Amino acid sequence: MPEWRLIDDIGVDRSGAEQMARDVALLEEVAAGGLPALRLSTWRGPTLSLGRFQPDDDVDAAACARLGVEVIRRPTGGRALLHGADVTYAAVLPRPGGDAGTIDALYGLLAGALMAGLARLGVAATVGEGRGPAGPACFAAAQGADLRVGERKLCGSAQVHRAGAVLQHGSVLCGRFPFDETDLLAYPDAAARARAQHALASRTVTLEDLGAPADVPTVAQALVVGFRQTLDLRWRSTVPL
Amino acid sequence: MEFPEDVRYTREHEWVRADGARATVGITDYAQDALGDVVYVQLPDVGANVVAAASCCEVESTKSVSEVYTPVTGTIVEVNEALTETPELVNQAPYGDGWIFVVELADTAEVDTLLDAGAYRAFVEES
Repeated sequence: MPEWRLIDDIGVDRSGAEQMARDVALLEEVAAGGLPALRLSTWRGPTLSLGRFQPDDDVDAAACARLGVEVIRRPTGGRALLHGADVTYAAVLPRPGGDAGTIDALYGLLAGALMAGLARLGVAATVGEGRGPAGPACFAAAQGADLRVGERKLCGSAQVHRAGAVLQHGSVLCGRFPFDETDLLAYPDAAARARAQHALASRTVTLEDLGAPADVPTVAQALVVGFRQTLDLRWRSTVPL
Repeated sequence: MEFPEDVRYTREHEWVRADGARATVGITDYAQDALGDVVYVQLPDVGANVVAAASCCEVESTKSVSEVYTPVTGTIVEVNEALTETPELVNQAPYGDGWIFVVELADTAEVDTLLDAGAYRAFVEES
């Protein structure tokens, strides 16, 4: 039975940039031979994360400042994602050899764990069909690693592979802020922003929308159990959830 | 899946085509297929000294961000600027217009130590 570290960063007071640094440090630790890890975290406040190579000018910096949103950059790819009303997970593991180490296989493995966790909340999620990014907002663009309920995205994930290790992190939407990504990104005109807002709203769903338990401790605990049971692992935890 | 005979390969799924002291590098057909649609290529700096097996740039696809390792030691003398506007060339022509960078080889014999097409094909089929 493999042993993983369980890192409980729920409610930890840390900036968004520090959150990303924590994930990268874990990736480096695992690449250097450290135990795999699952880190669960929440955010100090609304935080907009950009993909690794997403252009800075996708962001409406003035809007972010006005709404008190920290802007950070993820080590993973993809598009902008608003955090703060979500539970974020980071799974870090050595990349297995052979077919088990392909990007698709790893997404499949971790999707199974996430779906098992969501099932404990009474949510029947499925893996979305892959389609490329269609705009600057992450959740408006369906990707192969999405977990959806019906046609709407509940959990988006992204991977980075470095030095034989893999970091996959992602976000389970619990609720919504009074604003969304489209209020924080730059668009050529109001019509384009309105179209993006409509697309985002129609393609996403939260646990609250579904009437499922959406409080952070319950969601986090469900994910912990989903990972443990699906990956048949044992936790090494210093701070029990 | 293509395994051209005129290039050498690494187990990290890069290819090298040597022409004298210049070696053109890209990622293999297997790698581009595994990555999915490539949306961005972070090109290395021209003039950078690179060491075989070290990471020298990253490729973002709709699925992941993955490192590209240089298969050979030397100096980067050219990068494929076309990938800035059309990163999908990596998918469309991994052994052709989707090349990523050119290394001025420190040791031309280093290329011969890499996998040939048959050995790389066997590696991919076994994995």
